[in-house]
Amino acid sequence: MNKRKSSFTSALFVLPYFIMFMAFLVIPLLYGLYISFHDYGLLSNDRPFVGLDNYIAIFNPDSYLSSLFFEGLWNTFQFVIYSVPLLVIIGLGLALLVNSMPAKLRGFFRTVYFIPYSISVSVIAIIWLWLLDTNSGLINNYLTKMGFDPIPWLTTMPYAWISIVAATLWWTIGFNMIIFINALNEVPEDLYEASSIDGASAWQKFIHITLPSIRPIMLFVIITSTIASFNIYGQPYLMTGGGPGDSTEVLLMGIVEQAFEQRQLGSASAMAIIMALIMIIVSIIQFKISNPAKKGGEQ
Amino acid sequence: MRRRTKTLLLILLASVIAVLFIAPLFWMFSTSFKSDFEAIAGGLNWLPKEFTFENYAYTLLGQGLNVPVLRWMFNSLFAGITGSLLIVFIDAMAAYALARLDVPFKKILLPLFISTLMIPWVITFLPLYMQFSNAGLLDTYAVLIFPYTANAFGVFLLYQFFKGFPKELEEAAHLDGANKWQIFMKVVVPSARPIMWTLGIFSFMTIYNDFLWPLVATSSPEMRTITTGIAIMQQGSFVSSYGKLMALTSIATVPIIIIFLIGQKQLIKGITQTGIK
Repeated sequence: MNKRKSSFTSALFVLPYFIMFMAFLVIPLLYGLYISFHDYGLLSNDRPFVGLDNYIAIFNPDSYLSSLFFEGLWNTFQFVIYSVPLLVIIGLGLALLVNSMPAKLRGFFRTVYFIPYSISVSVIAIIWLWLLDTNSGLINNYLTKMGFDPIPWLTTMPYAWISIVAATLWWTIGFNMIIFINALNEVPEDLYEASSIDGASAWQKFIHITLPSIRPIMLFVIITSTIASFNIYGQPYLMTGGGPGDSTEVLLMGIVEQAFEQRQLGSASAMAIIMALIMIIVSIIQFKISNPAKKGGEQ
Repeated sequence: MRRRTKTLLLILLASVIAVLFIAPLFWMFSTSFKSDFEAIAGGLNWLPKEFTFENYAYTLLGQGLNVPVLRWMFNSLFAGITGSLLIVFIDAMAAYALARLDVPFKKILLPLFISTLMIPWVITFLPLYMQFSNAGLLDTYAVLIFPYTANAFGVFLLYQFFKGFPKELEEAAHLDGANKWQIFMKVVVPSARPIMWTLGIFSFMTIYNDFLWPLVATSSPEMRTITTGIAIMQQGSFVSSYGKLMALTSIATVPIIIIFLIGQKQLIKGITQTGIK
């Protein structure tokens, strides 16, 4: 009896979070599934059940929905492919650079490279919109001063992608750097000492000791950067408006448009669910590629 | 190459990169003190030729501007503070109970919570919108606060801390006749303060900086947050008023950079502790 009472009071500790978890995570998950099986107009009261029609329409090459989804997906993929390698490699490069600084300067440079991460995407996008302005932007002002033609950064290709990727790097690379700095600091010092005795160069140490030691963290950074890049929205929404043409109209923009401009919540939810599944599958593939079939018992 | 020369070259490289990281922010602040006319004229003046406060006066004091910028700022700060307090408190209770107390089904609950960290949020944002819409709560503070409280990140972070927390303190308090709630409030929370700050700063930054959700979930000028409000101004009446836009982005940026600089250590601790263990 006492025991039951005790476990009841213990459950009360979990209850507040559990209520939030159910109300704002589990129920939305199920509700989203429900919405995707209906012709769910944002404002209408008649929302008939349509089974898998919304999903079928996405995969029917002739439908508007299909072109909205797959063009958005393709543009998102492009951004992922352009941004993730740079986010990982430059992030690691900055971490190595910060670690090579004299101890007194490390904290300073780490803070400076990390500051932009604390700022909202809308502020980031507007600052870069201004830096990249064709007629009065700082970057084109420098270009024309040096005798070059100004570049229409946000309205022509490939500059629109370059601009979006540059703004994103500036914004988020500090986060990856912090994770790498921590990983680098945890590589056992005696590994380096042993290889110094063997006469290994700095590059050899990096390839044979550093990289293998930070491998799990590398995977973590690759997966989180990929997920973050999939979720891109604010930068193209504010910087290019999805242009030139529809070439930077990413998938999340397509979903928002379908939901709030076309007011078709059913098909927008189906798009969101497929997008989420693709993101989960990509994460699993990345995980499998970097952890090829570990044998049981081995660590 | 001599060691010292090499170090100096690396410091030089790091400094050049540091300039690249600071320059956009410096240019933002500098532009915010230029007239729109001086800004749009282009040029390379890193400091304003004519230093002016007109952009701040115009955007903050409502001179000729009928959008409530101070209200946006209040909304962002209010949602950020209330939301992060709520998150820290309910996550700490749940994480402590799961780590230490006899919670029924706790072997199922913890993995259930943590597994949701893998779920991309895109999947919940449209149904969340409909839930708030059905409840008539769109465009209220509820949308700016509650959706963030479901995230399992904090439970995960604090659970790891409480797992390694020494039992002796709790046992001593228990022998003194304290009940679970008293032990939690008087013994556990005070020792967990640093990690709770970490979670609090994280949560505040997430809520304060969020963009897409508050953009769709609020609609009236009074309920906008600062990050969504400035985006709407950029697309509306400030489309090429860069002096005024940069005043707005500066106003939005200063508080978060201050909080970031104060909480940086905690933030880094949180990032590295949830990295991979």
